[in-house]
Amino acid sequence: MSFEMWAEKYRPKHLDDMVDQKEIVERLKSFAKARNVPHCIFAGPPGTGKTTAAMCLARDLYDDSYREHLMELNASDERGIDVVRETIKTFARSRSIGEIPFKIMILDEADNMTTDAQQALRRTMEKYTESCRFIMCANYSGKIIEPIQSRCAPFRFSFLPKEEHDKYICKIAQKENVTLLPDGLEAIYEVCGGDMRRAMNTIQSAASMNKPVDSKLIYAVTGHANPMDVQKMLVTAVNGDFLDARKQLRDMLQKYGVPGSDIIRQIHSEIFRTKEIPEPLKIKLVGYVGETDFRLMEGSDDEVQLSALLAKMVQAGYELKH
Amino acid sequence: MYTAWPLKYKPQSLSEVVGNSLAIAVFKDWVKSWDQGVPKKRAAFLYGPPGIGKTVTVEALANDFHMEFVEKNASDYRTEDAINRFAGLASQYGSLFGGKRLVLLDELDGLTGNSDRGGVRAITEVVKNAQAPVVLISNTAYDPRFATLRKYCLLIEFKKPTTSEVFKHLMRLCQVEGIQADENAVKFIAHRSGGDIRSAVNDLQALAQGKKQLTYEDVSWLGYRDRQDTIFNVVRMALYSRTCAVAKQAVNLADIDIDMLFEWIYENVPAHFNDPRDLANAMDALSMADVYRGKIRATQDWSFMRYVIDYMTAGVAMARQYSKVGWVPFKFPTRIQSLSWSKAERAMQRNIGYKIKPKFHISAKRSLSEVLPFIRIIFKNNTQKAAEIAKWLDLNEEMVNYLAGNEEKAAAITALLAENA
Repeated sequence: MSFEMWAEKYRPKHLDDMVDQKEIVERLKSFAKARNVPHCIFAGPPGTGKTTAAMCLARDLYDDSYREHLMELNASDERGIDVVRETIKTFARSRSIGEIPFKIMILDEADNMTTDAQQALRRTMEKYTESCRFIMCANYSGKIIEPIQSRCAPFRFSFLPKEEHDKYICKIAQKENVTLLPDGLEAIYEVCGGDMRRAMNTIQSAASMNKPVDSKLIYAVTGHANPMDVQKMLVTAVNGDFLDARKQLRDMLQKYGVPGSDIIRQIHSEIFRTKEIPEPLKIKLVGYVGETDFRLMEGSDDEVQLSALLAKMVQAGYELKH
Repeated sequence: MYTAWPLKYKPQSLSEVVGNSLAIAVFKDWVKSWDQGVPKKRAAFLYGPPGIGKTVTVEALANDFHMEFVEKNASDYRTEDAINRFAGLASQYGSLFGGKRLVLLDELDGLTGNSDRGGVRAITEVVKNAQAPVVLISNTAYDPRFATLRKYCLLIEFKKPTTSEVFKHLMRLCQVEGIQADENAVKFIAHRSGGDIRSAVNDLQALAQGKKQLTYEDVSWLGYRDRQDTIFNVVRMALYSRTCAVAKQAVNLADIDIDMLFEWIYENVPAHFNDPRDLANAMDALSMADVYRGKIRATQDWSFMRYVIDYMTAGVAMARQYSKVGWVPFKFPTRIQSLSWSKAERAMQRNIGYKIKPKFHISAKRSLSEVLPFIRIIFKNNTQKAAEIAKWLDLNEEMVNYLAGNEEKAAAITALLAENA
């Protein structure tokens, strides 16, 4: 039984297999051809191919023996300064055998490294450039300290455009014998916004129900806040019922497990689509949404942040009437 | 030799225990009922504020009834061994030497501070199957974590003894110690204790030991000891104080950790700030408190805690401008009861996260939001695929049970796994 989750099964193996991010891929190919790679930062939202690109580059560089020349560390789980001083340093300074004189260290989710650890890393990067090249993957390059940024070639990854996304998902559906209806495909894009990992997981979990995949199934399966639900919550808040709005929020977060970052994204797009919200209020609310989005990243509790936003909306609705 | 008076004058018999005669009578009857066979409630849950004689009552009773008395402390509970040993003790009424046995689990609230749900669950199991009287003691019985446990217990509330009861007790001690005490001085100590008899005895000792006389001047310089207040009063302070300083005091008075206090405040803010403008400001303060909590988590720098405290107390209290003040009952934080909050569950998720991590090139932490929900859906819908995933990720049985959500499904998945092994 050789089974893999589709997101892994269909992860591109070589740079040539990669979908979209064309300019990046071209540059990486030229690195592989020249057999030389600078330190790199791959920045961009989740599911856009940062880790994949790094792995593909390694494969194209070292062929089958790539595992011997590659180390993958995830900074979210191993982000302390000790890891930099020990694990990373040990790997970086050992010499590489083979034609290519350096190894590759992929540091995933590098924006989650503590500043101290980043400071420590800076020396290592410099000192062992000969024997090790770093690829730092991060959602926000801004969270990586200046001195490291200045040592790296920056690459910006963006969400897949809809055509590429649709083409790829359709291909997978065909290979896995999934009946994917057009509105199902629309829904996947709507829900995942071009995050391919999420899209793959979504279609696979929907397919596990052994039914044709339509939009209803996608919404049900991801438990993703249905756009209408977000709208309902907004209207409830603006009309002044905070407790009811908070209850709806809590359901989305707890019952359906929708991440707060998704809800805020939807709130943002729904504000402009909701007729019940008076026009002058809309732009004011967007200001609150932006601030909340920012605090969500910094804070620790999605519900607290989002319900504070709902309270602001209740207030805005109240002030408009009085 | 120095002996602490609360210890020296600890009641040896129930007749010497100060106050709570009703509670003691109920407790006594329950223990006696064990002689007629196992009663319906196999555990007695004694609760009430600290220092009013809960533990002492149990000890005195064991003494009076000549029972073998076994006590366990809060700090031991967590380990599985300790709970198993405790289970063993509670499984037999008669002890090795022919006497009867009384098992006490003290300071149950010590467990809840770290939200050790698993521990409470294990204790509930022990209580359900107990063959000997089990006594649980805690300052509060109405912590949501004890909801299930409570059902299997006879709840006995211990109240603070009255000032005059404390006074009489202190006067008796003075007599035994040969101290001529001014009644007003002793009254002052008794009053000051707020019914905490242990602290009253401690104070008396500190002031009077070795003296022949105790005058009002000896004691009057003492201020009132800050009593740990009930959670309601603490929350009230955070929500209604007029000054920042008083609101911030709430944290010091709270008998619970700061995260828990945050939950209490978060739960109660909407009902107590009925003007939308105030509510928005109060919630904004909580949001800021949470931002600093996030900072602490990200940097492990606990010095940010002071801002968390400022915002969640003073920040909330100062939001009150237009709200009408009326009587609104306080509510227990409902959010905590939801499953996803529990520590055991989070630990389980984390462990599954570490299984996903190497397969998905994604951190264990992030896999919880990006991969786990989808795996859950597949487990719910498709046993065959669930088994394949379980094998691919090398999940253990516990993890399969957790993801399957119910036993039947878990059994089916496990069976499939065994078939393919």
